[in-house]
Amino acid sequence: MYASRNLAKCTKDCLCLFVCPTGATDTETGQIDSSKCLDGCRLCVDACPSHAIFLVMDNYPEPEPKNSEVADKMLNFCAAKYGQEKSAEAIADSSASEAEKKLAAALKQSLRIVAEDCAREAGYMLPQCEKAQEFKAELGG
Amino acid sequence: MEQKDTIPVICSNLAKAAEKQQNPGMAAEYSALAEKYDDGKPSAEDLAGLKTLITEDLTVYPDLQKAAESAGDRGAQRALRWGQKVTAIQKSLIDRFLSKGDALLDGKGLFVCEACGFIFLGDSAPDICPVCKAPVSRFSKV
Ligand code: SF4
Ligand code: SF4
Repeated sequence: MYASRNLAKCTKDCLCLFVCPTGATDTETGQIDSSKCLDGCRLCVDACPSHAIFLVMDNYPEPEPKNSEVADKMLNFCAAKYGQEKSAEAIADSSASEAEKKLAAALKQSLRIVAEDCAREAGYMLPQCEKAQEFKAELGG
Repeated sequence: MEQKDTIPVICSNLAKAAEKQQNPGMAAEYSALAEKYDDGKPSAEDLAGLKTLITEDLTVYPDLQKAAESAGDRGAQRALRWGQKVTAIQKSLIDRFLSKGDALLDGKGLFVCEACGFIFLGDSAPDICPVCKAPVSRFSKV
């Protein structure tokens, strides 16, 4: 596990700089240098007055396998939403009305988010889980 | 292999998840795949056609919800609850646009919740998403 800073919450009080034994918290980018961070040390997490630091896991447990009927249904739904997203995209590209373009752009974004949620609940939640890794390998990624 | 028109969505979802884990390398891999396979075709020709498809989806949600319940899949039940609400909002926005035309958006902005897809039409994004309770920071302006 390594520490990571939520830059939107960090108030630059710098307590994490005082407590870190390795200097991992002191970087140019503002993000913590995970390569210098000691596995699970968490001194900076507890010291931060802004609750801006959290530990990122590098190993996640394998998720419970999904019921295949539900997973298939969620994937079918995902595909349907994706076709709708592409429809909204085409409308946003071709409409002569600015208002319609804007509405279609909003629908496009919204439909992708709903489609992604279906994919997630079809078993593609964790990028490092076996199912996702197999899928990626099949795509040549 | 999963059906083709799910691939870009599965990949963009995994890319987002990798980003949340502060894993930019893995996020980039999945983003590249999401882009490479993003060649789906529209299933509707215009807003009215899109509305028809969305309206059909609304009739499918209850059955899916039942299947998720009997499988004891709480994650899917949650996704379907949010999805149903967001889909109903999508439909109502299209309905209102089809009857009022461009005037519907006059002087108003559209804001999308990045967590659940809820679309808000108004002056500024709500403090909390009414569907998924995400804070205002998760809204993006279209
Ligand atoms: S202790 Fe917290 S608020 Fe202060 S610099 Fe570190 S991360 Fe930012
Ligand atoms: S967890 Fe420990 S080693 Fe890692 S950045 Fe925080 S204080 Fe430094």
